Amino acid sequence: MLGAGVLAGALGALLGIGGGVFLVPFLHLALGFPLKSAAAISLATVIATSSSVSAGRAGEQLINLRFGMVLEVATVAGSLLGGLTAQLLAETTLQRLFGLVGIAVALAMLGRLGRRNVILDPGVDPGRLGGRFHDAESGGTVTYRIKRLPVALLASFAAGNVSSLLGIGGGVIKVPVLNACCGVPLRAAAATSALMIGVTATTGAIIYYGRGDLSPLAAAPAVLGVQLGSGLGLRLGERASARWLKILMAAVLLAVAALMFLRSAR
Amino acid sequence: MIPPGDASGDRNLEAAIGRVLRLGVLTSSACLGAGLVITLASGSTGVAGGLLTAGLVILLATPAARVVVSTITYARERDWLFVALTLTVLAELIASSIAARVFRFH
Repeated sequence: MLGAGVLAGALGALLGIGGGVFLVPFLHLALGFPLKSAAAISLATVIATSSSVSAGRAGEQLINLRFGMVLEVATVAGSLLGGLTAQLLAETTLQRLFGLVGIAVALAMLGRLGRRNVILDPGVDPGRLGGRFHDAESGGTVTYRIKRLPVALLASFAAGNVSSLLGIGGGVIKVPVLNACCGVPLRAAAATSALMIGVTATTGAIIYYGRGDLSPLAAAPAVLGVQLGSGLGLRLGERASARWLKILMAAVLLAVAALMFLRSAR
Repeated sequence: MIPPGDASGDRNLEAAIGRVLRLGVLTSSACLGAGLVITLASGSTGVAGGLLTAGLVILLATPAARVVVSTITYARERDWLFVALTLTVLAELIASSIAARVFRFH
């Protein structure tokens, strides 16, 4: 359990996503946990990752608090609905859903291989929800304005929904949308999303806990492992080649998706 | 009123949120770790079970506490729109804990 947490945390940190997308299938397929228990344990690790990552980042002004608070209304509503829906769905349906999301995440990972972040004009008026932060890479101040707020709200709602249903953070859905459609620079989108997934995962975890699907004894090693792993992953991240890592992980996710479909067909 | 986009008030809030999150995650990890060690050393005792449950509950309460801190800060700044938004998030969190118990499925 501890090892699975360390591995998922390290992979998550290396790839800039929560480790849930790896932890859930490992707990379910390799250790034989029912999918709902696996999702519940993973949500507990997502909360821990979100809290420690955001605590570490506070002060860098990368987290857009106001924009995040607006989106949280939508993402928490999504995860409330998703958490209740998960109780109604059969395990095979959830397995197929996980397979589909796994494929989507893998494709998104491959699609963003060569992407660089655009530096915006510092003269931009950030408006009420936009933000401004110091970019260490370019040495300048990045200012951005939020575009297409309804799209951001919709993506947050969908991310919350998928998060509760499958036990992942949902950042894999929000971050690309906020970056590509809503004008948020990648690092700010990732930092804001990392803060938001704490309340998203809490909503789902509360529902699973109330239903008796979240065992503290099973969650404890996973939570501690993920925290160790993400610290390790951040340190390794400076040395590893992101490109090959992404290709490798996309391959792993596609294999996981195939296994989930096979399981659901049995 | 704080100037949009470049709010020094938000910077203080960010620091406060960081402290709440760090405190929550450290306390909960300490409880979970201690509970786990006791369970491994002397089996499932009442103390171990209590520590594990406390660790999990603190973990779940940490993001909610962060929202409460935000609500208080926005209320002090008389930013009622954001007071309303953060209160909505809190209401949704409370709804989820009620929903988990009230609704009977299957």
